[in-house]
Amino acid sequence: MDATSLVQSYERARTESPHAASEDHYRQQWRWDRTARGTHCIDCYPGNCPMRVYVRDGVVVREEPSGDIPVIEPGVPDANPMGCQKGACWSQTLNGEDRVRHPLRRVGERGEGRWERVGWDEAITEVADAMLDAIEDKGPQSIVNMVGAELGTWGLVGFVRLITKLGGVSTDVNAEINDFSPGIYLTLGKFNVCSSLDDFFHGELFLIFQCNPIYTMTASHHYTVEARYNGAELVMFAPDASPSTQFADYHLPVRTGTDAAWALAMCKVIIDEGIYNADFVAEQTDLPLLVRTDTAHFLRAEDLEEGGGAEQFYLFDERTRRVVPAPRETLALGDVSPALEGSHEVTLKGGERVTVTPVFARLREHLENFTPEQASRICGVHPDAIRMVARKVASKRTYVIGGGTSFKYFHGDLMVRSSMLLLALTGNWGRKGTGNGAWSTGMFDGLMLFPRKERAGAEHTREILALQDQVRAAVRAEDPTLTDEMTRIELAARLGPNAGMTPPAFLWYRHCGYAENWNRAEWNDPSMKRPFDDYMREAMEKGWWDGVDQPAEDVPPRVLFNLGGNTLRRVRGGQNMLLEHLWPKLDKVVTLDWRMSTTALFSDVVLPVTNQYETPRFHIPSPHTLVLNYCDRAAEPAGEAKSEWEISLLLARKLAERAAARGLDSYLDATGAPRQLSTLPDAFTLGGEIVTEEQACEEMLQDTVLAGTIPADTDLAAMREKGYVRFIDWGVSPYGVNMASDLRPDETMNHSRWHTEKKLPYPTLTRRAQFYLDHPWFLEAGEAFPTHKENPKMGGDHPFVLTSGHNRWSIHSINITNRLLLHTHRGRPHAVINTGDARERGIEDGDEIRVWNDMGEFFVPAKVAPNVMPGQVIVYNGWEPYMFRGWRGPMDLEPGMVKWLHLAGGYGHLRYWPLQWQPTPIDRAIRIDIERANSLP
Amino acid sequence: MSGNDPIPPHQIAWVFDLNKCSGCQTCSVACKVHWNAESDTDAMWWCTVNTQPGRGTPRDYEEMGGGYDSAGNLRLGQLPTLEEFGGAWDFNWKEVYYGGKGRETFLGPTNGGPSWGMNWDEDQGAGEYPNAYFFYLPRLCNHCSRPACLDACPEQAIYKRPSDGLVLRDEARCEGHQQCMRGCPYKKIYFNAQRGVAQHCIGCFPRLEKGVAPACVRQCPGRGVFIGFLDDADSAVHRLVEDWRVALPLHPEWNTRPNVFYVPPLSPFKLREDRSVDESERRLPISYLESLFGTEVRGALHTLEGELARRKRGEPSELLDTLIAYEWKELLGPFSADPAEIAWD
Repeated sequence: MDATSLVQSYERARTESPHAASEDHYRQQWRWDRTARGTHCIDCYPGNCPMRVYVRDGVVVREEPSGDIPVIEPGVPDANPMGCQKGACWSQTLNGEDRVRHPLRRVGERGEGRWERVGWDEAITEVADAMLDAIEDKGPQSIVNMVGAELGTWGLVGFVRLITKLGGVSTDVNAEINDFSPGIYLTLGKFNVCSSLDDFFHGELFLIFQCNPIYTMTASHHYTVEARYNGAELVMFAPDASPSTQFADYHLPVRTGTDAAWALAMCKVIIDEGIYNADFVAEQTDLPLLVRTDTAHFLRAEDLEEGGGAEQFYLFDERTRRVVPAPRETLALGDVSPALEGSHEVTLKGGERVTVTPVFARLREHLENFTPEQASRICGVHPDAIRMVARKVASKRTYVIGGGTSFKYFHGDLMVRSSMLLLALTGNWGRKGTGNGAWSTGMFDGLMLFPRKERAGAEHTREILALQDQVRAAVRAEDPTLTDEMTRIELAARLGPNAGMTPPAFLWYRHCGYAENWNRAEWNDPSMKRPFDDYMREAMEKGWWDGVDQPAEDVPPRVLFNLGGNTLRRVRGGQNMLLEHLWPKLDKVVTLDWRMSTTALFSDVVLPVTNQYETPRFHIPSPHTLVLNYCDRAAEPAGEAKSEWEISLLLARKLAERAAARGLDSYLDATGAPRQLSTLPDAFTLGGEIVTEEQACEEMLQDTVLAGTIPADTDLAAMREKGYVRFIDWGVSPYGVNMASDLRPDETMNHSRWHTEKKLPYPTLTRRAQFYLDHPWFLEAGEAFPTHKENPKMGGDHPFVLTSGHNRWSIHSINITNRLLLHTHRGRPHAVINTGDARERGIEDGDEIRVWNDMGEFFVPAKVAPNVMPGQVIVYNGWEPYMFRGWRGPMDLEPGMVKWLHLAGGYGHLRYWPLQWQPTPIDRAIRIDIERANSLP
Repeated sequence: MSGNDPIPPHQIAWVFDLNKCSGCQTCSVACKVHWNAESDTDAMWWCTVNTQPGRGTPRDYEEMGGGYDSAGNLRLGQLPTLEEFGGAWDFNWKEVYYGGKGRETFLGPTNGGPSWGMNWDEDQGAGEYPNAYFFYLPRLCNHCSRPACLDACPEQAIYKRPSDGLVLRDEARCEGHQQCMRGCPYKKIYFNAQRGVAQHCIGCFPRLEKGVAPACVRQCPGRGVFIGFLDDADSAVHRLVEDWRVALPLHPEWNTRPNVFYVPPLSPFKLREDRSVDESERRLPISYLESLFGTEVRGALHTLEGELARRKRGEPSELLDTLIAYEWKELLGPFSADPAEIAWD
């Protein structure tokens, strides 16, 4: 039946129905006045679900996926309908009980929950005065902005931009949320590779580890299911038979945190059986590079000749039987046929003869400790299963879905490096249906350019782009072997604190009490030979973090902003560390949020911000989805809420006004540069040209057009009409180009194809995918190669490990207090424990348990299930601390350890650029104990 | 079909592919936002997803009776209690945010001591570690061809629409006797105390009438629900139910002839005691699946596994192509209209 006749026959039936009155009630209920394009512009990654928002009588009554995403590659399923249960009830969130509607000032103690409603002017004046006091007292670095994942459009070009203009500190969001993958970074010189989600459909084998995709990839999980229907096999590695396990063909239970063992054993099987891809290994990786047996360092030009470089490496050419320089400007080997085995003698510049061997030969030796049987004793995966999967990896187009949980393990870098080695040995990246992934952004260049603009308009943008090209040309003049990708990274690194964010590790170490935890030897890895302080001192002395180690030791934070997140929930060790060590130093704690978070409750001033559908804005784009998604204003803001943009503008004006009143026109920032307050409003509005969100949206769109990543006819009117636009190019930032692949309109995007097809080198020290790190710290730690190390006993020597992951019911804590969603679980936090463990400890389903370690304790109802590994306790994250008794939750048992090696620098790619190389705190597999709570606090 | 109502010429049917359902509750939430978003209907979830094995919603509904015996006699079962439905919690937001009590209080349900909810035993399942297992089962009104609720209603308030076979209730006639809730063996009918009427899934008929798929179908991010007319031989639902026979009703032994069908779930291979993989057996016990979907589930899984094996060998499979649904609209059958395009008069 065609659509028209269907609707017509329904129309006839309706008029004939004896039940018309009853039915009409529902027909009326479904109606609306108008629709708007929408999405949920939070960092629900990858998110970017294009929605339609339905409005009746000025109120958003519901939303629904737009369902109009076209087929990209014929024969590959389209992406519709993107959405999830959180998005499906965002309309309920708009006017939920947790919504903050008016500026609030604390009248009780911090955290007490006693407030008075104040006007915007009064609130902004109080905040501005505190900022000016801080500037006068300790300088602008005493203003700290802790950036959460949901900072969004106006958090970024509104508030973060304002703080940057003042010379304050905004923390790097990727460390704040532990979403940096040191393992991928160490290997590829960028952590943020990923493919478009539809490329999964081309996969023949999926190894899923440290990931529970049905919780975290609601809108795209279908691609793996469809790939399975297309003949692919799914192998799930997890301690628990996690909820995603049911979709796998194989579930291979792994003892917590031992994933490196199975991956390395598979590498050994593949090498021993000679089923590795020798061409890929020789061309794409550092495995053919020569290493001196006397020093364990790469053979470098500086070893061989006076004035030789520290970054020129060597191969042994089997054809000419000679040691030859490894090309730096390309991966193409030309006539060279690099040896992977054997040892050779070379004469150093002083005449000394030393033996060199390819990394591959050393790797073979290293893997002697990882036979399937040995690995099985470590990780619990049966040796036959290791062999079976290894052989599949060697013969199938394989994706490793290594989830974000791997970023949050102490030795997560080793697990990920091991899984990358497995992919490299089998040639499993840089062709469709293969690869691994983290996350990335980029492409929306207008957003990146905006903070650098001083005037509105296209002409100025062209100047900025031209200047950028000049600088990149100058950089390339210094080293003509640099690729386009490398010059962009170089530029990003040179921006330093002007990039708008700096690594938070120094704030935590210097001002939040973490130094004590990080120095505790018994909570660290035994291969950390010296106290943590020694490594920190060396890193500082060697200048590895110069310019981005903020705030300085003698600049204690005075004013704290919490933006786009929930600091006291998010930061590991949250209340134990921050409330105890940081909060007492703060004169003013300010939270900008649309909901009442735990952090808001511990603030002095809470400023209500607009929510989705209330202010025009864009979703942070992702190469996973490759669209720029727009969310229109569909309804009036709740109460007196204002966007972060509007709040920032109010603050800029107030700062100028109050500064003038106290005679403070300008001051010097931490670098000694002058900062002007009287001109701040003008600078913020680009000379008064950009005042409203609509104007800023249009400016960013037009700049994005200029940067060439969206079609020329894209403007705000078009976005309002169509909702989203597919990117046509990567643009000027490094974050898109890091995918190293062409972006085609009619094909899935698979990362790293420029490396495998165009032979463009990787942005690493060796210009190859690097599995051997001869940095002295890594050599000292025995981590030159990926290896397996046990989880340190973080939190003390206790019998259980606490693991976590994103919960199903909320993005972080955003939706966790939504009335409707609270009803889709038990309405309270829970800890999942194994049936046998529960029986042994006399715990029944629903009983409240005490969970404790050396950091503290919390109470939580138990959920008893057979799918949890004995000895494992799972508390999914995202619960508000105020949902626990005494507001103490798992975050308070996490010591927030960082791995000392992640402070390393002075070594090729080991350096900071925003979102990239930096220490991030650990929360997985901390040690705990549990008991039935016989009395409750 | 019971009573004197004619068998409708067109019968709408849902097929849920349980190998695609990730238990995200988007269907449940989309439905609730459409029809039951008011806080006095907190307990009403016309669509729910439960972890199986599990006690379901309302709790232990499978033990409550209803439907027809094998001789075709209506069996009235128990009336589920509010406690068995669970949920409908109030929370102390105000006290926590503005009460001045600080950490002496915490946010949680304040009424009734929560003991059950629509998804209480989520992700618990059964089995022994590491061979634990579960899957998700979305449920809504089955819009049965022999609706026991219709038979049970003393007011003849329930009717089966000739245009699409939906089982609906004339709320003007409903007197709130709740006999339908006893008759329905699936216990998918709720009592709206505010309005004094029983209510259940309406199949999103206002949407269907405009050519738009129901919210649970159109919003499923797993692309896991097909809708169409069972009598349309070209439809995906017909092919999956009638031709391939891989989509089965839940509890056919309750004899109401449901029009919601399920493609049964696969599961990982079993592990032996030494953790080696036993590829001869999957984790979900076939006996358990039979207890839900009847003995035909063996044939359905056999067909599915056979087609998967073919596909792995690189051979074509019409069944798998249907289940993949390359274009999303293939799932929506004749109901592929975009609601945002509707121009209301």
